[in-house]
Amino acid sequence: MYFWPGVAALWGALLAGLASAITYARADRGRPDLLPLARSLYAGYATCIVAASAVLMTLLLQHRFDVSYVNAYSSLDLPLHFLISTFWGGQEGSFLLWLFFGALIGLLVWRSAKEQEAPVMVVYLATFLGIVAILCKQSPFKMLPPPAPADGVGLNPLLQDPWMVIHPPVMFIGFASLSVPFAFAIAALWKKRWDGWVTRALPWALLTFVTLGTAILMGGYWAYKTLGWGGYWGWDPVENTSLVPWIFTAALVHGMFLQRTRKRHRRVNLILACVAFVTILYGTFLTRSGILADFSVHSFVDLGITGWLVAILLGFVGLSAAAILWRWRSIPVAAEEEPPLLSRSVLFILGIAVFCALAFVILLGTSAPLLTRLSDNPSQVQISFYAKTATPGAILLLGLTALVPFVSWKGERARDLGRSAVRSLLVAGGVTALALLLGARGALPLLLIALAAFAADMNLRAVVRKARSGKLGGAGGYLAHVGVGIMLAGIVVSGVYAQTRRVALPIDRPTRLGDTTLTFLRVVPGSPTRKQAMEIKVESPGRAPYFAYPKMYTNTRTNQLMVNPAIRKTVVRDFYIAPQEYDPGQPERRGRDVRLVKGTTQNVEGVGLTFRDFNADRAAMLRGEQTILILTDVTVTPPDGSTHDTTLRYVFHMDGREADAGEAAIPGVPGATMRVLGVSPNDGAVALRLRGVSKNPADEYQAATVETLSVEVTRKPLISLVWGGFYVMMAGAGLALVKRTREARRAVLAPGPEPSREPSEPRAAPGAPLTVHTRS
Amino acid sequence: MRRGYWIAGILALLFVGLGITSFQKTLTPYVSFEEARSARGVVQVMGSLDKTSDKYDVGTQELSFDLVDDRGGRIPVAYRGTRPANFKDAISIVAIGRYREGRVDAERLLVKCPSKYQGAEVKTYDAPPPAGARS
Repeated sequence: MYFWPGVAALWGALLAGLASAITYARADRGRPDLLPLARSLYAGYATCIVAASAVLMTLLLQHRFDVSYVNAYSSLDLPLHFLISTFWGGQEGSFLLWLFFGALIGLLVWRSAKEQEAPVMVVYLATFLGIVAILCKQSPFKMLPPPAPADGVGLNPLLQDPWMVIHPPVMFIGFASLSVPFAFAIAALWKKRWDGWVTRALPWALLTFVTLGTAILMGGYWAYKTLGWGGYWGWDPVENTSLVPWIFTAALVHGMFLQRTRKRHRRVNLILACVAFVTILYGTFLTRSGILADFSVHSFVDLGITGWLVAILLGFVGLSAAAILWRWRSIPVAAEEEPPLLSRSVLFILGIAVFCALAFVILLGTSAPLLTRLSDNPSQVQISFYAKTATPGAILLLGLTALVPFVSWKGERARDLGRSAVRSLLVAGGVTALALLLGARGALPLLLIALAAFAADMNLRAVVRKARSGKLGGAGGYLAHVGVGIMLAGIVVSGVYAQTRRVALPIDRPTRLGDTTLTFLRVVPGSPTRKQAMEIKVESPGRAPYFAYPKMYTNTRTNQLMVNPAIRKTVVRDFYIAPQEYDPGQPERRGRDVRLVKGTTQNVEGVGLTFRDFNADRAAMLRGEQTILILTDVTVTPPDGSTHDTTLRYVFHMDGREADAGEAAIPGVPGATMRVLGVSPNDGAVALRLRGVSKNPADEYQAATVETLSVEVTRKPLISLVWGGFYVMMAGAGLALVKRTREARRAVLAPGPEPSREPSEPRAAPGAPLTVHTRS
Repeated sequence: MRRGYWIAGILALLFVGLGITSFQKTLTPYVSFEEARSARGVVQVMGSLDKTSDKYDVGTQELSFDLVDDRGGRIPVAYRGTRPANFKDAISIVAIGRYREGRVDAERLLVKCPSKYQGAEVKTYDAPPPAGARS
């Protein structure tokens, strides 16, 4: 049973997409008159995908709980923005979201591809049709057998956060836009367009870099402010599988820039475009096939589409490898004389190598469960693996980034470079000295701080230089590098010099922690619009005291304990309070508790107690009454040797109210009493509390425990640099995106293949002006 | 350009070599309780919680419990840190750490709770670094 309009839209998309790809292929093979038809068919494909998304969204907004997906991920109590986000709360919906952005981006791709439209669109469509096929098989429009449930299961409470409303869409824009450089690269190999593809695809690679990067940061920020474990990055497989394509995209952007300006590294860029795309597919396979279920915090469970994902992955790996090998010898290699070692070309190629090695190592660690599955016991790597391997990568990248602005393409003499670096070296030295003064220790972190400051200042000077000559639009790369320096400094300082303390805060009792005093004041009860929170007064000398409200509540649907930290942000540091455990406290207690199993006798201070039987009102239980009387028969043998049969009353309330237990005197022991504390019919046991039987009254006294909140308090110095540096990096990438988009729009490229390496190529007229670039 | 490629290649190879050696060093295999008892490095064991065995001291934040497997095996685990939320409801617990003095000294716990949403939900808990590791 399926909701047919949605299914029809998906099948329509599959057919229209196939038809469009075939028509584009024919248009490319000597039938240019078919181009308008191919475009119309693409528009049809896009319309179907948008329609399928609209159908799913409508079903969600209308609370159609008879649809399986709606029932599984949404519920009546969700506010509108969370209701919208349930669209991508599950696997099928997030695949559909990926297709949705892919379909919209495609409408821009065929306009921007110009002379390369037909082959590019064939490949571009191919990258999505496999996912459409998966959704035709694993439909989000499956219906539940009637009757329809009155309410849905609801959205995972962890995902009920504004950041989780926008994070997945941005991520999937990035995923979908990575299909574009791949489509251009395969089309370039197919049509022998060795340089033309880079002109058109560079803006798309930059767009991927910006969107994927933004999505990764949003995910990190969400983890930092919601999950309460104090960090923003956990090297979890799901995080890694979006980080790796991003690093490859960064490598691709650098390689494409190199090819645009120096006509070099054509092979490198074709390989990078393929690898970046394939890692997206590989990550999708890793996180959605259930392979990592025992290893990840948030991988999805297996839906039975693993075979499909493997087929799609292997298909594109095979296609890329075959296309590259097929054309390998035809790809022209730069004839230009070899640049000196200390030139920008060499720095770039080194940077690309470091990017690739870093991404490969992260991918290796993430794949550990898969790789070791071949042996007897699947394993994973420790988190320290990533820190160990990423550190040398960061050092190398910072070093290269620092040198780039003052090393020209033609090469630089070391002495000249040294002279231009003096100012920035002084700045780096100053920053390091300041860090030392403020208590930073450790050779490796200090080296990283110094390098980061050096890189940031060198690039900042390049930005200023460009701005002075009125060419700020061309300073995107330098500006991005300034951001890289700032961000890495923030990562190092906030990570290495973070101070974490765990403290128990008894209520109303000021507790000192360093120079800060924390006082747990009360539990602020929750309301439908506000979560239950803990009120903590925070006082530090020289600053105004404030109240922190970390949230701590039980999700009523899942009975999960949810915790959100309270973060006090300043430029210098974040003060992070994450609640850990709340103990409501207990009043003082007098008495002695014993647990008796049916038919056995226990001796307490000379008094023998035998539990004979329960006598529950079964008829009342069967009638479903809320109050049940349980009578407990006990035989008491006090020290004087007599025997007494006693019956204890115990009234149990099904609605969770406290039970009423009758207090009865213990015969033969003056002043002593007993009552039932609890019964457990399954074990045939009863718990009693005795009072006044002990010779020493202190044996029966248990002191009260105070209401206490345990918290983890973290001081994170300069974490604002992580976010700030990231914004600067993205601003730089944005500048480059604007410049390259303009450039691509103005470029007029001749149709047909470009000269290849073999002189035997029929259409390769040496020296002919095949590409004309207009520069701004 | 050849020289540039050579340096880049060597750099990348060194890097990947470092990656592979630390990969082998930090690999933590899933092992049975018997294997864990004789293992030298960091391992991970999975089992279900014996609900009568767990003890937690709020003051020192020391958690200890026994894991049992479906073959009737039992292994004690010690963890220093906050007791994971929903610890008692866990259907299975993965403890990652070293076997020392008759118990697994866990650095991390993965707690799998029954969830209505995605079949089962896993959460990770890391022990704080030992005192003095951070300045």
